[in-house]
Amino acid sequence: MGGVEDDEPASKRMKLSSVELRGLSNGSAFREPVAGSLRDLMARPLPSEGDEDVIGPAGVIKRVEFVRIIAKALYSLGYTKSGAHLEEESGIPLHSSMVNLFTQQILDGHWDESLATLSKIGLVDESVIKSASFLILEQKFFELLDAEKVMDALKTLRTEIAPLCIKNSRVRELSSCIVSPPKCVVVCSPKQDIVRAKSRPKLLEELQKLLPPTIMIPERRLEHLVEQALVLQREACMFHNSSDRDMSLYTDHQCGRDQIPSRTLQILQGHTDEVWFLQFSHNGKYLASSSNDRSAIIWEVDLNGGVTLKHKLSGHQKPVSCVSWSSDDQQLLTCGVEEAVRRWDVSSGNCLHVYEKAGLGLVSCGWHPDRKWIFSGANDKSICMWELGGKELECWKGQRTLKISDLEVTSDGKQIITMCKESALLLLDREAKVERYIEEDQTITSFSLSRDNKFLLVNLLNQEIHLWNIEGEVKLVAKYKGHKRSRFVIRSCFGGLEQAFIASGSEDSQVYIWHRASCDLIGALPGHSGAVNCVSWNPANPHMLASASDDRTIRIWGLKDLNVKRKDCHSNGVHYCNGGT
Amino acid sequence: MDVDPRQYEHIAINDNDIHNIVLSYLVHNCYKETVDSFISCTGMKQPANCLEDMEMRKRILHFALEGNALKAIELTEELAQDLLEKNKDLHFDLLSLHFVELVCSRKCTEALEFAQTKLTPFGKVQKYVEKLEDFMALLAYEEPEKSPMFHLLSLEYRQHVADNLNRAILAHAERPRYAAMERLIQQTTAVRQCLSQELGKDVHPPFSLKDFMKS
Repeated sequence: MGGVEDDEPASKRMKLSSVELRGLSNGSAFREPVAGSLRDLMARPLPSEGDEDVIGPAGVIKRVEFVRIIAKALYSLGYTKSGAHLEEESGIPLHSSMVNLFTQQILDGHWDESLATLSKIGLVDESVIKSASFLILEQKFFELLDAEKVMDALKTLRTEIAPLCIKNSRVRELSSCIVSPPKCVVVCSPKQDIVRAKSRPKLLEELQKLLPPTIMIPERRLEHLVEQALVLQREACMFHNSSDRDMSLYTDHQCGRDQIPSRTLQILQGHTDEVWFLQFSHNGKYLASSSNDRSAIIWEVDLNGGVTLKHKLSGHQKPVSCVSWSSDDQQLLTCGVEEAVRRWDVSSGNCLHVYEKAGLGLVSCGWHPDRKWIFSGANDKSICMWELGGKELECWKGQRTLKISDLEVTSDGKQIITMCKESALLLLDREAKVERYIEEDQTITSFSLSRDNKFLLVNLLNQEIHLWNIEGEVKLVAKYKGHKRSRFVIRSCFGGLEQAFIASGSEDSQVYIWHRASCDLIGALPGHSGAVNCVSWNPANPHMLASASDDRTIRIWGLKDLNVKRKDCHSNGVHYCNGGT
Repeated sequence: MDVDPRQYEHIAINDNDIHNIVLSYLVHNCYKETVDSFISCTGMKQPANCLEDMEMRKRILHFALEGNALKAIELTEELAQDLLEKNKDLHFDLLSLHFVELVCSRKCTEALEFAQTKLTPFGKVQKYVEKLEDFMALLAYEEPEKSPMFHLLSLEYRQHVADNLNRAILAHAERPRYAAMERLIQQTTAVRQCLSQELGKDVHPPFSLKDFMKS
């Protein structure tokens, strides 16, 4: 321990000794681990967690890299003392002294010195050196121009920048800058934003991106790695149905089944016959159902998730096969089977208009998102577009062999999706007048559009549900199986957080739920005593699902351990229940 | 290919026409002394006015070719006051010649000042912006001959500008912009090419003026 001054503070002397001891064995930063030398064997303490080259059970994390990105993260967070202490204690410097010098010179604007340091930093690639030099000299150039030292800037351009012989078009732009400095705004060029000096820290950041990461650790590397892990966990989480705020670093994220609705919370008994269709409004505050009893019902969802009957809509002379909510949820369309389409006001329950076509029966209905027009399919295989007042605007006929029974309009109003053949769907782009087709090799019974207009869920005769991507060229993405369908039209829907789940009715009286990405069946929910015809997942509440059944009831499903206080039973057809039936 | 040579014999050519063609070529290129001797040799009637401006025009073009654009501009203004105003492109090209001179003689400060005062005002119009940037780029190089814009320093470029200037002056004096000989050669070539195309490419080789002249 020679060479230590006596007037140095005692702590420093002690530190020196421990560093000295470990400096010999902590060679991973500075030299290859040497085997066999007696001196090393004597000086090296027994291997412990503190001295291995790699850490972690899989042995893929290199100690030096790990410590360096931690130190970088500490500095980014503002904990400079901790960062410095870590560097000292571990003996692993974040950056070499050359890099530190370089960084300081850049921030201080000592361009010529920084260029000299650049050549000593340890870069091997000539082109990187040139690109970095170019960046630095460009900054020098602009700062000179800003200081109005035009001739100096010109000199830099001529003697330092141009000889690099790279980026000739940029050199051209720089020349233009000299002649017409941006602040004079003489040249009317739209690219003003790339002809100013940037801030020095910004320059440093760009240099960091240019230099290899071993020399200069990239910004926020640790944060990036952690986020990557979290995203992967979330994607792997099959039951993920709650917001990302619940993700924690302490444990691997994995939602339990308890996030998926699986318990009947309510049974709604407003209809007197099979319930064929139901759908939540866009804002999740209402539920509309339609039935073989020739009526439709608008239900209201209160803040606690309780559902009560709001209006019973009577007027159709035939069973009501489907409903459609306007984009603002103020109006509802209902369609009587091969009869007419009616438009209702949601708050009053009044029928506002009846749409009919002489000699024809209408079979489906849909809103245009602008709410100025409605679409309807007729049993002569045409699609009509009406103004709200009842005036028919357009009519499309095409090669269709089946009565059109399902109709969907994308939320941008651009495409109409209908059945066109027994086993094909037509996607009609109204503006471009382009028709695309989805061809299946089985009869299609129903379909449903995702909220982002990019995917279509198609129910088939053979008890499969197919997921199609309809952006650009249509392609089949996934298949879901497990439910039962043999005689009736069964409908499915997207649902849950970010529509990550698929739900469907089934003829075995259960509600089926799959994880959309993995196609795994998550659950089959028993409870109904008749075929479940249709399901709808509340868009505003990923924990609420509704199902419509031939047993004349509608069930509201929710989370298992939800314990909500309810008001007393009302006599308007709503039956509350806790737990299973 | 060719037309049967006997067919040429049926076509009569007027000597006067030929004289005029040659004269127009000489006048266009300001070959004053040759014009004088040609006229006296052929006994043509001296056409009015053609000699007057030739001397001036010759001097102007000479300065332009040398690279002394400022002098060329000065004389052009004397000869035809609003010519450069009406021909902005030409004006820009002439000024740029001077700029190039300054750059080549390594007078950077002067070149920069000249560019800022004389050239950048053109930059307000979009179509000059790219040309302007081409020239400004020359400033960046200590050896402009080795820069990507080296063609701006060449004789061909100066010739091109001088030609444009010539045509502009002639047009201003309401004379033909193109010498008759030029036009005739262009006409022949164009017509022959059209014919070749119509007859089909395989039938005959494409027309070559050079070969035709030799035959």
